[in-house]
Amino acid sequence: MMSTASWALMALFAPAAAALILAVVAPLRRRLIFSVGISLLGVITSLASAIMVVVGYAANLVPVELTVPWLTSAGRPFLDAGVHIDGISAPMLVVVAFVALCVQIFSIGYLDDEKAPSLGRYFAYQSLFLFSMQLLVLAPNLMQLFFGWEMVGATSYLLIGYWYAKPSAARAAVKAFWITKLADMGLLMGLILLVQNTGGFSWTAHLEPGIATAITLLLFVAVMGKSAQFPLHIWLPDAMEGPTPVSALLHAATMVAAGVFLVVRADPLFAQAPDTRMFMAYLGAGSALFAGLLALVQTDLKRVLAYSTCSQLGYMLAGIGAGSATAGFFHLTTHAFFKALLFLAAGAIIHAVGSNELSRMGGLAKKMPMTAFVFILGSLSLAGVPGLAGFFSKDLILETVVEQQLWLPAVALMLTAFLTALYMGRVILLAFFGPRVSEGHPHDPHFAMALPLLLLAIPSLAVGYFGHWIAGLSGNEYSFHITTTGIVASSLGLAGFGFSWVIWRKHPAEEPAPMRALAAFAKRAWVDNAYRFIYRRGLLLVASWAAWVDRYIVDALINACGALFIGGAGRARRIQTGNVRDYLFAVSLGALCLTAWGLWR
Amino acid sequence: MNDHLLSIVVAAPSLAAFLLFLIPNRLRLLVRLTTLAGAVVSLVAAIQIASLYERTAGTFQLAERYPFVPQLGIDLSFAVDGWGVALLLLTGLITVAGVLASWRLAHREKEFFIILLVLVSGVFGVFVAQDLFIFFLFYEIAVLPMYLLIGIWGSSHAVVEGGPLKYVWRYFDIGGREYAAMKLTLMLLAGSALILVGILAIYRAAGGTTFDLHALAAMHYDRSLQLWAFPLLWIGFGSLAGVFPFHTWSPDGHASAPTAVSMLHAGVLMKLGAFGVMRIGMMLLPEGARVWAPIMGCVAVINIVYGAFSATHQKDLKYIVAYSSVSHMGVVMLGAAALNVDAWNGAVFQMVAHGVMTGLLFALVGLVYERTHTRDLAKMGGLARVMPGVAAFFTIAGLSSLGLPGTAGFVAEFLVFIGAWKSANPWWAVAGVIGAFITAVYVLAAVRRIFWGPINDSHHLELLDANGTEWGALWMLGAAIIVVGFWPRLVTDFLDPTTTAHLHALLNAAGQP
Repeated sequence: MMSTASWALMALFAPAAAALILAVVAPLRRRLIFSVGISLLGVITSLASAIMVVVGYAANLVPVELTVPWLTSAGRPFLDAGVHIDGISAPMLVVVAFVALCVQIFSIGYLDDEKAPSLGRYFAYQSLFLFSMQLLVLAPNLMQLFFGWEMVGATSYLLIGYWYAKPSAARAAVKAFWITKLADMGLLMGLILLVQNTGGFSWTAHLEPGIATAITLLLFVAVMGKSAQFPLHIWLPDAMEGPTPVSALLHAATMVAAGVFLVVRADPLFAQAPDTRMFMAYLGAGSALFAGLLALVQTDLKRVLAYSTCSQLGYMLAGIGAGSATAGFFHLTTHAFFKALLFLAAGAIIHAVGSNELSRMGGLAKKMPMTAFVFILGSLSLAGVPGLAGFFSKDLILETVVEQQLWLPAVALMLTAFLTALYMGRVILLAFFGPRVSEGHPHDPHFAMALPLLLLAIPSLAVGYFGHWIAGLSGNEYSFHITTTGIVASSLGLAGFGFSWVIWRKHPAEEPAPMRALAAFAKRAWVDNAYRFIYRRGLLLVASWAAWVDRYIVDALINACGALFIGGAGRARRIQTGNVRDYLFAVSLGALCLTAWGLWR
Repeated sequence: MNDHLLSIVVAAPSLAAFLLFLIPNRLRLLVRLTTLAGAVVSLVAAIQIASLYERTAGTFQLAERYPFVPQLGIDLSFAVDGWGVALLLLTGLITVAGVLASWRLAHREKEFFIILLVLVSGVFGVFVAQDLFIFFLFYEIAVLPMYLLIGIWGSSHAVVEGGPLKYVWRYFDIGGREYAAMKLTLMLLAGSALILVGILAIYRAAGGTTFDLHALAAMHYDRSLQLWAFPLLWIGFGSLAGVFPFHTWSPDGHASAPTAVSMLHAGVLMKLGAFGVMRIGMMLLPEGARVWAPIMGCVAVINIVYGAFSATHQKDLKYIVAYSSVSHMGVVMLGAAALNVDAWNGAVFQMVAHGVMTGLLFALVGLVYERTHTRDLAKMGGLARVMPGVAAFFTIAGLSSLGLPGTAGFVAEFLVFIGAWKSANPWWAVAGVIGAFITAVYVLAAVRRIFWGPINDSHHLELLDANGTEWGALWMLGAAIIVVGFWPRLVTDFLDPTTTAHLHALLNAAGQP
């Protein structure tokens, strides 16, 4: 019988071993059967071990920690590495492994026209990602969390840039890494401050109020980057350049949720900084509304879902900012399932139609009934239709925000609930109903792609009913009540679907005037342009100055020294005329001077 | 055998060089194998030293001593501390990788390898020397051969400057290998002159009877002497470490140097400078070090940020890597200036980390240059398609360069920044973190422009990935980056006790501020 900690280590290192083998042993990587087999073996082992971890933990609800000293400095064990299992990491471990398994199975079907060596690379990245994510989830301290955090960022860069020959994908990958790296400077500074003030990287440390606010704000900057909150959200829509299964796993279900996970993890620190929490609540709600508006006018199916992810992450942060980490974490869990489902279903559609553009879809419900069914199910869950997973978690967040009397965020979140239903209704109507637009014969996916959809549909439907159990794992109480807030939110959601029916029922639909204005506004890409301006007119300009100064001032001084020396030597050389008369003259002059000097003394 | 390990490490490359004299030019394989044997023997001996070294003590061990010039108190005296062990391993690794990477050199390779091996002996000698005179002797042996190596085997004008200032370039022959070799040698020799003055001043103040480093370190020197001698040593050694504004030999020199020489120079020789500043400058003149540390730190911050910005603007691949070295050596100097154990551990760790990653980067750049015959970023693109292995290793080295966790670069930078925040000037850490971000900007941009996107040039479609021995070099260095990144105690276990002892001695002698 293995201990819980050993199972956790297994969940962590199985994908690491898969990644290592695929990276090092090239012949295995180049054969499809091996690369897929090894990678799947890693993720299945990870999932099975993760389930064992939850079972083991749920038996007695005592957190387990197993660490080794990872770095020593000044004779003290400066930093530990290991696994920490509690009510947050255990369920998260399962969620990550489960979604990763679904995504990897789906990828086999989705990327079937890729070459085998290229797919080997893909599965090596996938395994590396799973390892990094589990490293982050199991972290016993914030430093290991940061370690995994940066590594998932790097794998995200590699996976977005999987089709590296495509310039747009290459740019998107670099952009994603730059923006998140910029944000991560905050996390790094926060950790440096933390270790200076507490001597360690624990998230349970006790801090002075001012320091607590400073540290948590710095941490939150990184969260804004990773979880794509305004104004650091701009990388996420572009990240859709990656393969769709990657978008499902990294940019919807797990990696972007790592930001929320950090806040849940460091809740004891954030609890000491009410100002940061307030900021989080307002920013999260604002981002939710802003991204919801942008999702409404996208013409690309994946971008709708990307903005929707920004919006839902804002929801989670608003809930945590209002003081309920449980609510945020619960929504994280449900969102992981239904958003992965939506993305994979979108992948099935894109695979069948051959385009991301909504305008190339239409009437797909008849051709792809199974896909349409699970997509609509996911959408209903996302929009918070009563009884589905998203409803419970969203309701808990809204109740917390209303309870704390944060009226402005509450209104923003309510509006977002309406918008969510509106844009999902739009997508459903444009993609699945109306006349057929594209030629070809789209059809429901075959087994490898259908299985993950069905697997994910189950939790999207049902996980909401396990809220009390998930909350119970971390020792919190949760039970569902019907409240006014819940009724208002669900009515708004249903109203959103109703409105979408009114607007987009007819094909080709005439977009209403406010939508056109919004689309024109979104096209201007204000935030993107601001970054481009800072990059081109700030960073690159300073860089050109620095390079210029180095070549034409600093280095020129060195060259000037050399030139002076050579020039001086050239002058001095002229003394050596080679003319005996000149030398005799100099000797006589010297003798004369010496004599004069001797006499004068 | 074990009693003479340090002598073996130092002598093996020179012995191989001597053997090369006896081998005819036409036996090219034998020439290479002999060179490789010399490098491998040193590496194996270095590994043996590491296994024999008692880590927790942090003292100087495996000492050897032979009289050299007894009249002046000069002994050929060797010993290693934890820093020495780490740097010996680094040098051995880079040397073997450098020889493997220049396996296909076709121009007067025997002479090339002879000079290279002599240089390597010098480097090993510096890291184990316990006598100030011997230290300086080996230092010069390591620095001077560069002139020939770059002047004869270097490359010129890979990227030609346009615009009105091109006349300045033509006048000075900027970018030419003779210019680069001359500039590098003269600047470093000017530095050596300063060092020599400093060394003689110390020798005289200590009574003029011994050059033994331990005896010299035990003395107390006048405050005034310390105050004027320390900057001499700092600038003198610092010019080899690329300290601003004496770094300008580095971009031109590294760009013109052949692959193995760039690898060794940026990977190991620049560390001699930083090692000299810490081991000689700071530890012999502690009071001077303490007074000058704030200025050292500020200059180091300039190095980090200014070097990173300069790298961002370069069009020539080798210049990018060279400027990134200037920036990363700033991290070492910042750690040294912060004067606490975390920062010093980080500084020495960064020497190792930067040595490996920049060695790998220069090996890769050399590989790419050899195949594409260009170093101009604008003419590259899409190379990952034809050379996936090179692209993968370049990405690993690049990620280490921007301090990604899981690579050696992260541990080093993190320790230095923590130490810098703890020092009297916390803003140094902020500047360092900003420098790390700018590094991310230029590294990722470079990877994208070289390896990603479509292939621009139809000739590039036929290029080949790394081959045979080149794989050996890449795997050695790439694996070192990852292994140390995931298990840094392989290095820190050696560093920490030594650092603690050294810094304790320094702060005691300097008097607490």
